[in-house]
Amino acid sequence: MTEHASTSSDFASPNFPASTPAPASAPTPASCPDLRAQLENAFSIPDTGSEGLDLPVEIFLSGINGALVRQPRLEIVTADLVTTAAIESRWKPHNSKLPTFKLTFPEGIDFIPPKPPVEGAEKGKLRSLKPPAANGEGAEQKKKQTRLQPPSDALSIQDRLFYLLQPPIENWLAGQELVMPFEPFDYQYEGIAWLFSRKSALLADEMGLGKTMQTITAMRLLLRSGQISKVLLICPKPLIPNWQREFSTWAEELPVTTVTGDTARRRMIWEMSKPGIYLANYELLVRDFEELEQDGISPKFDLLVLDEAQRIKNRDSRTASTARNVNRKRSWALTGTPIENRAEELASLFEFIEVIPPRGTPDARQLSRLSDEYILRRCKDLVIDMPPRLDRPAYLELEGAQEHAYKVAEKEGIIQLNDLGESITVQHVFELVLRLKQIANFDPVTNESAKLDRLRADMEEIAASGGKAILFSQWTKTLDWIAERTQDFNPLIYHGGVPHKQREPILAKFKEDPNAHLILMSYGTGAVGLNLQFAGYVFLYDRWWNPAIEDQAINRAHRIGQKNPVVVTKFICKDTIEEKIDRTLQEKRDLFISILGAEGNTESSMGLNAGEIFGLFDLKARDGDSTRDIGPEPAAAV
Amino acid sequence: MAAGGTKKQLHLGFLAAIEVKDRGYVGGLLVTNHFGRPLEFQCTAPVRPNHTQEVLFGPTLVPYVYNELIGKTLIEKAGVKPNLVLTEDERILGLREHVDLPIGFLQEDAGACPDSVRFGQQKVSFHERHPLDRDVLYELGSLVSEETDLYEPFERVKQALQEAMQQNKQRAA
Repeated sequence: MTEHASTSSDFASPNFPASTPAPASAPTPASCPDLRAQLENAFSIPDTGSEGLDLPVEIFLSGINGALVRQPRLEIVTADLVTTAAIESRWKPHNSKLPTFKLTFPEGIDFIPPKPPVEGAEKGKLRSLKPPAANGEGAEQKKKQTRLQPPSDALSIQDRLFYLLQPPIENWLAGQELVMPFEPFDYQYEGIAWLFSRKSALLADEMGLGKTMQTITAMRLLLRSGQISKVLLICPKPLIPNWQREFSTWAEELPVTTVTGDTARRRMIWEMSKPGIYLANYELLVRDFEELEQDGISPKFDLLVLDEAQRIKNRDSRTASTARNVNRKRSWALTGTPIENRAEELASLFEFIEVIPPRGTPDARQLSRLSDEYILRRCKDLVIDMPPRLDRPAYLELEGAQEHAYKVAEKEGIIQLNDLGESITVQHVFELVLRLKQIANFDPVTNESAKLDRLRADMEEIAASGGKAILFSQWTKTLDWIAERTQDFNPLIYHGGVPHKQREPILAKFKEDPNAHLILMSYGTGAVGLNLQFAGYVFLYDRWWNPAIEDQAINRAHRIGQKNPVVVTKFICKDTIEEKIDRTLQEKRDLFISILGAEGNTESSMGLNAGEIFGLFDLKARDGDSTRDIGPEPAAAV
Repeated sequence: MAAGGTKKQLHLGFLAAIEVKDRGYVGGLLVTNHFGRPLEFQCTAPVRPNHTQEVLFGPTLVPYVYNELIGKTLIEKAGVKPNLVLTEDERILGLREHVDLPIGFLQEDAGACPDSVRFGQQKVSFHERHPLDRDVLYELGSLVSEETDLYEPFERVKQALQEAMQQNKQRAA
C-alpha cells in the first residue's frame, strides 16, 4: 500500500475557518505586523487535544438492528511497486534517406599501350619529364597546374562537373596514363585544356608555337576520356607526312588511317566505323564527299579538324561548303592566319565552327566578341622567352643600269596601262607590278643588282662567323640567278622545282654541313612546315603580297628551339613599287589588328586587293581633253 | 605514376564534406582510378540540422552528419566501389565504424602518425580498431607513384560541391 504524505496542509487544515472574513483591502508589506496582531485578537488560539481511534458506535433501535450488529468486512488489496519508470515517448534523430546526385564518367578508349622505355632504363621506373626551358624558377617551386574549366555553353550540372572533376592536364600527361615524349610549355598546357573543353574552337597561335602538338594531345585526352571516338583531320596534301610524323611522336598509341588509294579503297575507309584518327587532304575531302553524298552516304565523326583552315576563307567555295556539311559533333579550325585579306574570312571560319548562323555576317564588334570566346591566339613574344626577332628593313637605292631599266619599264608600263583606258583590268596592273619587282631584284640585261651587292656583303660577315642564312624570293628564276652568284657560300636551293626525294637531304646538308651558309627558298615551298631554327639570319630578297606569308617564312628560323636572336633583313628598293607595297601593307596590318585584338598580332594583316593594286600607280584615262582616274575593279584579294 | 600495362586496378575514393553558410553540410565522393582519372562522382543534398539537433548532439553533431549521414550514404550508393576511401578530415575516420571499407586519413609527411603508411607524396593512417585496413596499401599502393599529390583530388571534389550548391541555389531562386 502506498501512503501519500501531504506537505502542504495549510489550506486543508480543519481548523482554518473557511468563513474567515477577508480583509477589506490587501495589506501592504509594511502593515503585516499589524495584520498579524489583528488576527490574533480576532481569533483565539484553538484548543487542541487527542482522541482515540476506537470511536464508540451508538446503535439506535429500529427493528432491524440484528443485521447491523455484524462487524463491517475489511478487505486488503495489494498492489506491486513499479520498479522501472516508463517513458512513453523516446526521441530519435530523424534519419530520412539522404538524396544524392551521381555522375558516372565514360570508360574511354584504351588504345595500344605505349612501348616500354628504352632498353637500359630501369624497368618499371617512370620517366620524369624535364621542363623544356629553365626560367630561373626555383626547383622547389610548386609546379603550375592547369585545370579544365567548363566552357561557357556548358549549362547542365553534369556537363560542368565533367570538366571540373578532371585531373590537372599536367598530371594526366606526366608520363602516367599517357606518355609524353617532351614536357609541354605552360601555354601549351593551357591550349590543350582550352581545346579539350570546346566543341567549337579556332586555335590561331602564331606559327611555331605548337598548334599541331596541342591539337594531337587534346584529341588524345578526349579519346582517352571517352568524349570522342572518330576524328577526321583535313590538311593540305603536302602536310600529310608532317601530321603522320607528329602523331607518331606525340601519340604513338593512336591509330591513324590516312585516306588514300583508289576510289574503292577510299570509300571503304570512309565507311569504316573503327575509332581513331582519319587523315585526308582538302582535295580528297571535296571529291569523295560529293560522291558519297550522291550515294546517300554521310560518314559521321565526333570531331572534324581543319588544319591551315584559311583554305576555307571563301565561304562560297566547294571546300568550305563540303567542310561545313560533314556530319560532326565538334569543329576545330587551326590556322596561324585567321585573317589573310578580309574580315569576311573570319566569318567563314566562324560559320564552320558553327558559332554564327549560315550566311551570318557579323560586324566588327561582333567579330571581336566572337574572337574573344572562340579564338585562342598567342604570339611567341608573349608566351615564351624567345630570342628576339630583329626586323631590319634594308632600303636600297638602285643605281646605274638597274635604275635606268626600272625607270624605263615603269614609264612605258604606265603609258600602256593608261592607253588601255576602260578596258584595263587588275591583271594588267598586276603584270606591271611583277615586271618592276623583277627589275628591282636584278637588271636582266646587265645583271646589276643593288640587292645582290648588299646580300654578298652581309653573307661575308655571316659566313665568317659560321652563321647560316635563309633567303626567300617569290621567283625560282631569281633563286637560281642568286645561286650562281653566291657560290662562295655554298648555297643550297629548295623550291618547287626540286624533286620531293631530294628535299630532305638538302635540308639535312644545310643543317649539318658547316660550309653551307645559305639556303635559297621560294615562299611557296619553304614557308610552311620546316624547322630551321639553327639559322640565325633571314633575307626577304623580294616581298610577298601578304605579310602573313612572310611571317610564316621568317618563322622557319624564329621558332621554338632558336637560341639566338634572328635577324630579318627585308630588301626594299627606294622609290620603287616595293616601297609603295610595303607602306600599304603596313597600314592594313595596323588596321586589322583591332579585329583580333591581340597586341603583337603580326599576322592579322591582309594582302592587297584589286583597288589597292590600282592605287600603286597614278593611272589616268583620257577623257576628251581632260583625264580622269581609272577606278578600281570590285575588291578581289590577291 | 604507374608502370604501364599492369592489370592491377586500384580505385581510390576521395571523400570530402564541407559546411556551406546558410545551407548546411554537403559531402562528395570522387572515385578515380590509380592515375587520378575520375570514374564516378556522387554528392549529397545539403543536410541542415535544426536547433534541437544542434543542442542535443553538441560537439558530436558534425562527426554524426559527416559519417553516419553523408559518408555512409555515399559509400552505400557508390556504383564503383573504391578499394580505399581517403579523407583529409580526421573526424571522418569514424566512418569506418559504419562501413565495411578501409578509410584512410591523409596527412602531410611531416607530423604524420608514427604508424602511418606512405602513399604518394603523403602518408595515410587508419582507424585504430581496423589495423588490417593498411593491407590495401601494401598490396596496391605501389600503383601510385611517389610523386602523386593525393590532396589534389580533394580540390576537385570541393570545387564540384561548390558548383553543385551554386546550381542548386540558382534553381531554387
